[in-house]
Amino acid sequence: MSSVEHAVVAAAGVGARLGSDRPKCLTLLDDRPLIAHLLDRLADVPDVRVVVGYREAEVMAAVHALRPDCTFVRNVDYRSTTTLESYYLGSQFLTAPCLYLDADIWFEPHSFQRFIEKCAVSPGGLLGVTKAKSCDAVYVTRDRQGRVLGFDRGTPTEEEWANVAWLPPGLICRSSCAVFEVLADHLPLNGATVVAEEVDRPADLERARQAFNAWRASQAG
Amino acid sequence: MRGDLGPPDQRGFLFDLDGTVTEEEILPVIAREAGLEEEIRLLTDLTVSGAIPFAVSFRLRVALLRDVPLDRIHAAVRGVPLNRQLLDVIGRHPDRCAIVTGNLDLWIQPLIEMIPCRVLSSTGSIAPSGACQVDSIMDKGHAVAALRQQYGGIVAVGDGANDVPMFRAADFGIAYGGVHRPAPMLVEVADMVCLESGSLCRLLNMLL
Repeated sequence: MSSVEHAVVAAAGVGARLGSDRPKCLTLLDDRPLIAHLLDRLADVPDVRVVVGYREAEVMAAVHALRPDCTFVRNVDYRSTTTLESYYLGSQFLTAPCLYLDADIWFEPHSFQRFIEKCAVSPGGLLGVTKAKSCDAVYVTRDRQGRVLGFDRGTPTEEEWANVAWLPPGLICRSSCAVFEVLADHLPLNGATVVAEEVDRPADLERARQAFNAWRASQAG
Repeated sequence: MRGDLGPPDQRGFLFDLDGTVTEEEILPVIAREAGLEEEIRLLTDLTVSGAIPFAVSFRLRVALLRDVPLDRIHAAVRGVPLNRQLLDVIGRHPDRCAIVTGNLDLWIQPLIEMIPCRVLSSTGSIAPSGACQVDSIMDKGHAVAALRQQYGGIVAVGDGANDVPMFRAADFGIAYGGVHRPAPMLVEVADMVCLESGSLCRLLNMLL
């Protein structure tokens, strides 16, 4: 039984920066959509809500084939809103903490499992941070206890926001801000390192493939 | 604002019958009894695709089946399986739930007796000739309007094209696809989509 009861997956995005008209969550990594890898990570979470927008029928069909008991949440304004709106819509009516994730990320399984385990002892919230590397990083500063103190797009640090958060109910609000801008109002929040590869651009996808292959090779060994 | 449902204990929940509370469409079962499956299927397909309005299609379907004796229809309808998991959820809150169906009260009477909340439906009667006739056709959008005073926020659950007016008039719509995929035009006006009974009931238990 997972300590995480609810998860909201933002999967409404277009993926234009990848140079593809395919929904970003259906970008292939090792011949499987990114969201298939993510659903593997969430196999023990009873309530998985997938927020759909761009080519929603295609995304729903792909997800349903993998995880029939998902609840789909429609974000019809996905072109004019940020991921925060998807998180808000996905978290409607929840009265318990929830795990929020973007569907365009590959998480290394062991580090993700450690993150999930830390959620159980983090009632105030837990933010995922990862080694800074992506093309559009939101850099993170932390204190010695590992708590996240600030976000910054302009000043590079060694770590970036991994777009995964375990948050108490009511913290995700409706606004035109980016997710990290809303989280900034609630800092400091506990942080935990997770190995994550966000895929926004072709260079990110190539790096995700290398990370995935390295992980698979480590499993074979 | 869409999705603003007010206090949980004042919410009303309206459910389609065919393919939502029942695990099989009812009209094809009656059509099978009359040996008119293909004709009814054609009309149903045209309705689902939006080629003909529900009211026109329903009158035609009743006209085709009007001479089937009521006791034979009831015997067939009694065998239509119900979604027990969903009925359990409804049975825990019968005063805040209602079934809103375009189907004919005369035909679905055996199911009405098994459902733990009230059922609003199209109505019919038996003419002196013995044939079944339609007296009124349920407009599901009007049903929501009629129930407005009774409830705070209204949640609609359904799977078909004739649920579109109900979803538009409600405050929140859940398209359900446990029996077959929900009609695409219904998904377009839905807020959430559940393709399995378990996820639908989990969501309803949070909302109720």
